[in-house]
Amino acid sequence: MKIEINNLRFTYPTGLEALRGISLTIEAGEQVAIVGQNGAGKTTLVRHFNGLLQPTVGSVLIGDWDTKKYSVAKLASRVGYVFQNPDEQLFSKDVGTEVRFGPRNLGYSKEKIDELVTRALALTELSNKTETNPYDLSPTWRKMVALASVIAMDTPIVIFDEPTTGQDAVNVARIAHVIAKLRREGKTVVTITHDIDFCAENFERVIALASGQVLLDGPAREILGQEEILAQTYVDPPQLTRLGKKLGFKETVRSQEEFLNSLKNSIDASQSK
Amino acid sequence: MHERLSFYVKRNSVIHDLNPLTKVILTLALILIAFTSPWYWTPHLLVLVAIIPLSFIGKVAPEFFRTAIRIILPAAGFLFLMQAFFQPVGDTVIFKFYFLDVTQESLMFAFRNATRVIVMVSAFTFMLLTTHPSELMSDLTRRGLPGQFAYVIISTLQILPQMQAKAQTIISAQRSRGLDTESSFLKRMGSLSPLIGPLVFGSLAEVEERAIAIEARGFTSKKVKTSLHEIPDHSSDKIIRWGLVILVILSIALNLWPS
Ligand SMILES: Nc1ncnc2c1ncn2[C@@H]1O[C@H](COP(=O)(O)OP(=O)(O)OP(=O)(O)O)[C@@H](O)[C@H]1O
Ligand SMILES: [Mg+2]
Repeated sequence: MKIEINNLRFTYPTGLEALRGISLTIEAGEQVAIVGQNGAGKTTLVRHFNGLLQPTVGSVLIGDWDTKKYSVAKLASRVGYVFQNPDEQLFSKDVGTEVRFGPRNLGYSKEKIDELVTRALALTELSNKTETNPYDLSPTWRKMVALASVIAMDTPIVIFDEPTTGQDAVNVARIAHVIAKLRREGKTVVTITHDIDFCAENFERVIALASGQVLLDGPAREILGQEEILAQTYVDPPQLTRLGKKLGFKETVRSQEEFLNSLKNSIDASQSK
Repeated sequence: MHERLSFYVKRNSVIHDLNPLTKVILTLALILIAFTSPWYWTPHLLVLVAIIPLSFIGKVAPEFFRTAIRIILPAAGFLFLMQAFFQPVGDTVIFKFYFLDVTQESLMFAFRNATRVIVMVSAFTFMLLTTHPSELMSDLTRRGLPGQFAYVIISTLQILPQMQAKAQTIISAQRSRGLDTESSFLKRMGSLSPLIGPLVFGSLAEVEERAIAIEARGFTSKKVKTSLHEIPDHSSDKIIRWGLVILVILSIALNLWPS
């Protein structure tokens, strides 16, 4: 499902203008990462996608729905939103109930709910923890519960607000696996992240925000190459990308594999001289 | 981060600029006078000519009236009814309600007591609206109030707004997962009930964490501490405070004086 943002401006009641004219289109099935310094307005932007915030100026369209005309509860059938902090999102007495909460509200049939819940739990490797109280789980697993509870809603658009912050390597890999699965299912995924390696390895399109405006928007490979412009919003390209640049690779590299390939090519080239 | 952590409303007014102790004394004076003055209409007059105008001067009238209508008036109304019906004084019966006699004396008595309670609660509300709790506490500790005491008061004042803010974030999480909060009140309460545990335990854990954090910065150290934040205490503050103390003494004296 497509997301269309037209000249969006948003001012908090405190008078702070957090978004200052944003226009974007995110196509159905796209995998988009949003980066930018603290306070750039990333969270504020995605909170418009499910109607938790309403534009001060401009509009946000989710498919053919203008978010102004639909309640948050209605928009929940199209947009799933995983909060930045799982502790602000979990409230049930056990993991199973927590994950059922969303699909049940959306009014699916009993069989469909069972199926969605089982799948979401399997995908997040929580199947053996359904009886546990989320508050007895470690923060990494609480994050997975938060993910599962949103994935189970089977929405065409899924938003992750800083999914990898404070997570160990094993769990980051688990989250990447979940996102890859959603991509294969053709879902639109929008992820806010400060983890630039995670961004480089998992997303095709990158949007950089700086003080409420779009600084850069385009294919990850192009954006991550623009070291100077990214520095304006305090984002460093991944180490390998920067090293590749220093080594004079023509291509912008994003992963170990690409780096090794480019390295091999340049060695071959210099040997054949 | 941006949520309201106390009743305090930040505005620019002469009341906000008063020293916190002055506002505490003002509150206590209003209450003491309402309860000791021998003249029947004193509490009513205090509400009309002191507390309500003060809320306008302090630019917190909207918040003040909201609290008054939602909390203070219903509580006072309840007290009025209880006392009007169950106070066995006087014999000028106005009407009978089954076995209960409502007399003119009991009505008068109930009316005054309810108004006294209104003075008490609204004076406190007024103080909380115009005084930042941490400013109040640093001023009082500077004047010799034990830090532990200040800590207990501050955490009590903050716990409700904190829980409120927390409940609010969880409600928006629930709406994001399709809970229709415009739906019935019962359904909403139902979805909130599993929250009570996490809310209470979460708040307790927060209090403990804060205790550790402040201890790590030498909270119980016996050394005299300096303060980063200077709280002004003008001579006008002192004049107001003494003026109020004299009024209270007068009121008590008039009450004790056998006339
Ligand atoms: N509820 C609020 N009330 C007032 N101002 C807010 C509120 N929430 C955020 N802001 C302000 O709006 C601006 C953008 O905040 P936002 O949370 O969108 O940033 P962000 O890009 O998500 O940052 P981070 O990387 O730290 O999560 C910041 O200056 C922030 O202080
Ligand atoms: Mg954020």
